[in-house]
Amino acid sequence: MNFDELTRTSGEWLRGTGPESDIVMCSRIRLARNLAEFPFINHASRGEKVEIENQVKNAIERGGLDLKYHDVQALSNLDRQFLVERQLISREHMGADWPRGVVVGPRENISIMVNEEDHLRIQVMLSGLALQDVWDQINNLDDQLEETLAYAFSPQLGYLTACPTNVGTGIRVGVMLHLPALVQTKQIEKVFRALQKINLAVRGLYGEGTQASGDFYQISNQQTLGKSEPELIRTLSDVVPQIISYERLARQELVKERREKLHDQVSRAYGVLKTAQQISSEETMHLLSSVRMGINLGLIDDLAIPTVNELFIHTQPAHLQKIQGGELQVEERSVARASYLRRRLSNGKHLDDESA
Amino acid sequence: MICQRCSNEASVHLTETVHGRRREQHLCAACAREGGLTLPPSPPNIGLDQVVEGLILAHVGELVGELAALRCPDCGLGFMHFRAEGRLGCPHDYQVFRKGLLPLIAQVQGTTRHVGKVPRQHPQSNLNRLQIRSRLRTAITDEDYELAARLRDELRQKDRDV
Repeated sequence: MNFDELTRTSGEWLRGTGPESDIVMCSRIRLARNLAEFPFINHASRGEKVEIENQVKNAIERGGLDLKYHDVQALSNLDRQFLVERQLISREHMGADWPRGVVVGPRENISIMVNEEDHLRIQVMLSGLALQDVWDQINNLDDQLEETLAYAFSPQLGYLTACPTNVGTGIRVGVMLHLPALVQTKQIEKVFRALQKINLAVRGLYGEGTQASGDFYQISNQQTLGKSEPELIRTLSDVVPQIISYERLARQELVKERREKLHDQVSRAYGVLKTAQQISSEETMHLLSSVRMGINLGLIDDLAIPTVNELFIHTQPAHLQKIQGGELQVEERSVARASYLRRRLSNGKHLDDESA
Repeated sequence: MICQRCSNEASVHLTETVHGRRREQHLCAACAREGGLTLPPSPPNIGLDQVVEGLILAHVGELVGELAALRCPDCGLGFMHFRAEGRLGCPHDYQVFRKGLLPLIAQVQGTTRHVGKVPRQHPQSNLNRLQIRSRLRTAITDEDYELAARLRDELRQKDRDV
């Protein structure tokens, strides 16, 4: 499979179109599912893993679903990394060494990892705060797959998963938030503590154990048993608006108390991104975060949010290398990244850039 | 610290107060005995390990013993191995390890009863298929290809029945 064409587009979830999309990057739900007749992945033989792949392919075909199966095992390291950066597969799925795949839907709203920790990890992602829509879509997709696939299920414990922390609904309901003002005003820790108290997990941009880069945080449920899917979704839907209002308050505070300083910070960030000759991924994320907030506060008026959203992903190592068409060392990447940013942000071009 | 009499490592440290004056002596065990000091016997082995073990046994012992012996007939995973790794081997483990697993699930999830979506179709024959597959795996490992072929046919026949 050739993913080169994807470097010119982005997933729908980066479009910045849904409700509250100045702060909520995207809403996502994943379901963990296993086939009843196979052992879990860590105990399945190579042949059984291939059979699992075949059953999933068959289910997609029989359901007439508009989804495409990619053999992850057959991909180059660069392409696998590329899929991680696009949030279509996990780091674990990238690094595994057995037959496995990923099913991707149009506009990249849907992805199904096959043979990750569970036989299926179904994911649906939409731009903005849209958990109900995400649930409707994923629930429907799950039903369609289930027409053909017999899932491991127990009336008492629900959907059976390789790890008991996912048993029951097998659901993880998550929202990715951009919280630069709460970080700058040093109130983010307080928010985390409150979330932990109500059993919600906080992760970075690329999931478990990753640093929150670009001030992006994913908030999700931990409990999967004893509460129905709608209840778990409601918990998130109730809490997220509160965090959004804290972030807005913190932004207003910054505007009121330190307007010049804020404006200066945003303009400098934009300036560096437009002119730098060498720039690291980390610095890029950091500056893009300021620029993103700057646009939302009306401090920058010649750049569109979808472009910035896309730059967060397209300046990652694998994306850069795919755009450049070859492997690059760290230093070469810094040069390529700066050049790519200059091109994307050159004056007057980006507002009508509708590729995002 | 070195013994004040010979150059061995000192292991006896004595502090005396004589007429209000503090005097310290540092001696090795041999020189101390020679100097007429009686050393306290080394601490008796009270067998703390055994005490702890006894306590565990008295409280959860039998269960632990019973659980430690549990092994899934289908995937071969032992309960203790699951405790170490945190991942189960097959759906049947939830039933086989039930006794040890339910308290753990209650601890992590706060409950042991599923509320929520239920698959529309839930054929009962799947445990059977899991078992056939487990026998198939063993047959392949044992290079018993005749049995393997028969088991494959059995699975195919079930497919047709469905």
